[in-house]
Amino acid sequence: MAYRKAAFRKPGQAGWLYSLVTGVIALIYFFPVLWMILTAFKTRSDALAIPPKLFFTPTLDNFKSVFFRDTQAGDAVATGFVQYFVNSAFIGGSSVILALIIGTLAAYAFSRYPLKGNDTYMFIILTTRMLPPIVVIIPIFLMFRVTGLSGSYIGIILLYTAFNLPFSIWMMKSFFDDLNPEIEDSARLDGSNDWKVFFRICLPQVLAGLAATAVFALILTWNEFLFALLLTGSDTRTVPVAMANTIGGEIGVDWGLLSAIVSLFLIPVFIVTFVLQKQLLRGVTFGTIRK
Amino acid sequence: MKLSCRSLEKSFGRVKALDGLSFDVPEGAFFALLGPSAAGKTTCLRTICGLDRPDRGTVSVDGEDVTQAPVQGRDLAMVFQSFALYPHLSTEQNLAYPLREAGLPSAEIKSRVGEMGELLRISHALGRKTTQLSGGEQQRVAIGRALIRRPKLLLLDEPLTNLDAKLRDEMRAEFKRLHRDLGITMVYATPDQLEAMTMADTIGVLQNGQITEIGTPDALYATPGSIGVARLVGSPPINLIEATGTGAELDLGFAKIPSDHRAQGALTLGLRPFDIQVADTAKTALLQGRVIVTEPLGDLEIVDVETSGNELKVALRGAQVGQAKPGDLLPLNFDANRLLYFDTKTGLRLDMSPVQN
Repeated sequence: MAYRKAAFRKPGQAGWLYSLVTGVIALIYFFPVLWMILTAFKTRSDALAIPPKLFFTPTLDNFKSVFFRDTQAGDAVATGFVQYFVNSAFIGGSSVILALIIGTLAAYAFSRYPLKGNDTYMFIILTTRMLPPIVVIIPIFLMFRVTGLSGSYIGIILLYTAFNLPFSIWMMKSFFDDLNPEIEDSARLDGSNDWKVFFRICLPQVLAGLAATAVFALILTWNEFLFALLLTGSDTRTVPVAMANTIGGEIGVDWGLLSAIVSLFLIPVFIVTFVLQKQLLRGVTFGTIRK
Repeated sequence: MKLSCRSLEKSFGRVKALDGLSFDVPEGAFFALLGPSAAGKTTCLRTICGLDRPDRGTVSVDGEDVTQAPVQGRDLAMVFQSFALYPHLSTEQNLAYPLREAGLPSAEIKSRVGEMGELLRISHALGRKTTQLSGGEQQRVAIGRALIRRPKLLLLDEPLTNLDAKLRDEMRAEFKRLHRDLGITMVYATPDQLEAMTMADTIGVLQNGQITEIGTPDALYATPGSIGVARLVGSPPINLIEATGTGAELDLGFAKIPSDHRAQGALTLGLRPFDIQVADTAKTALLQGRVIVTEPLGDLEIVDVETSGNELKVALRGAQVGQAKPGDLLPLNFDANRLLYFDTKTGLRLDMSPVQN
């Protein structure tokens, strides 16, 4: 009676072998980010060294030159990157908040007061996301020129809001669909009108979903390049566009500088994701576990 | 509060949930809506409280037509099958919610929440989120939240369905106690005849969106108006026997009993398991039954016997418990006076007093 003992694995704990394999895979995934962060602290010669250097004397020069450029006279001139970071944060933040507000209200309506042909409307909303951005960019560019929205904050914020709306609606609708409607009925019987039912009963139950939607929308908007390239002006330029502008020139790609910009650029997304992590996990697994 | 429903109709697409439903509930009554699932119980309650509007018919409270009145203003509360507690709020906040909506001062709210916690024995859980409570505690919070506004009418939609058997027994007594102490009118929807029989003073039997019979639990048990109601009420379920009337006699298959001439042709007879007894000797027995299964329940035992093609449930009590073994031949007697007569075609009960022998 020889049972194979190894076939039995206790749930709730992983052996060191499984942890090690997972660790290796995680390292492979994280390596590009790690390498980029390392590069940000390297001098130009260290960054281009062959074979690549894992150990080197770190320098903060790259971070300095993100914000200041030395002129030939030896003066430090601001590069405008402070403005670009502010732009990215303002444009990304505003459009995500707008998309969440409109998307959540629309999703609640689609979920609780379905129209005739509700699914068709939901599908039509999604079709706008089926077109590749490169296809729609030219008409949008022309429209922005005619309406004077080109280069303005309001233009790019509106565009990103429209860009984030479809999946905000889809995601939030699925969260509302998962709520028990008897809870809302109960609130009505307890004397709440429709507004209170929405704000005090429904919304608090989908906070996790709201957080998940916000993070996804923020990451998409934060990293968006194509629309920002063509539709922002020098005052409203976002970081991805400004970053692309540093590539090229007589000395080729300055990898150290680029890595420093990207490292700084990652920080806000890291923070937001980290703060919302707990909500995010609940958000993406919402509805898969029945209580 | 007196409640009156008049010929309520409500359809969802092609499905008729309510089909001319009418009944009255007098002030202070404990009224049970007893019916199988999908009979329209929930729709009926939702129509009474205004969450659903009927296609036709009226709901009136104390003589006033409230069919089209908004949900929020009605002086009634409802306990849902799923409890429908606010998951993001604590027990205390759940209980306080209706009072806050009513705009009561916070001192008043605090004292009432405390009172309700005492009454329903959930004081220890006031600070906790309702998702951390046990099923029984959640149920109490749901009842507390419904009662805290002191409504004149309480609607309960299968409130015990999601509880385990032991808790259900406890909560039945609890509901009776609450009804007696608070004296409010209650309408209680349930598919479980035991709940309806034990708690209600009046039962309305709801079948296919209609009230088919209204009566006290005793009346529904003793003289059900139709085969359907007879089946729904009583546990173990009633024995239904196909019989043929042949003039002076009624042939039950396993026994013949004297009859007057009204019982002609095919009939269905109802016989409660408690109306069949074990005979002292085989000679005095009306029939012999072969034991198939026994279900001992302490001082009660349900025995399934087979006799001439019929299967009967027999309830044994006292010294008879534990005597029958599967395969035994059991000599049985029954009281012909206790037989219920039903028209096999229409299913309605025939008012026939059996002939004395």
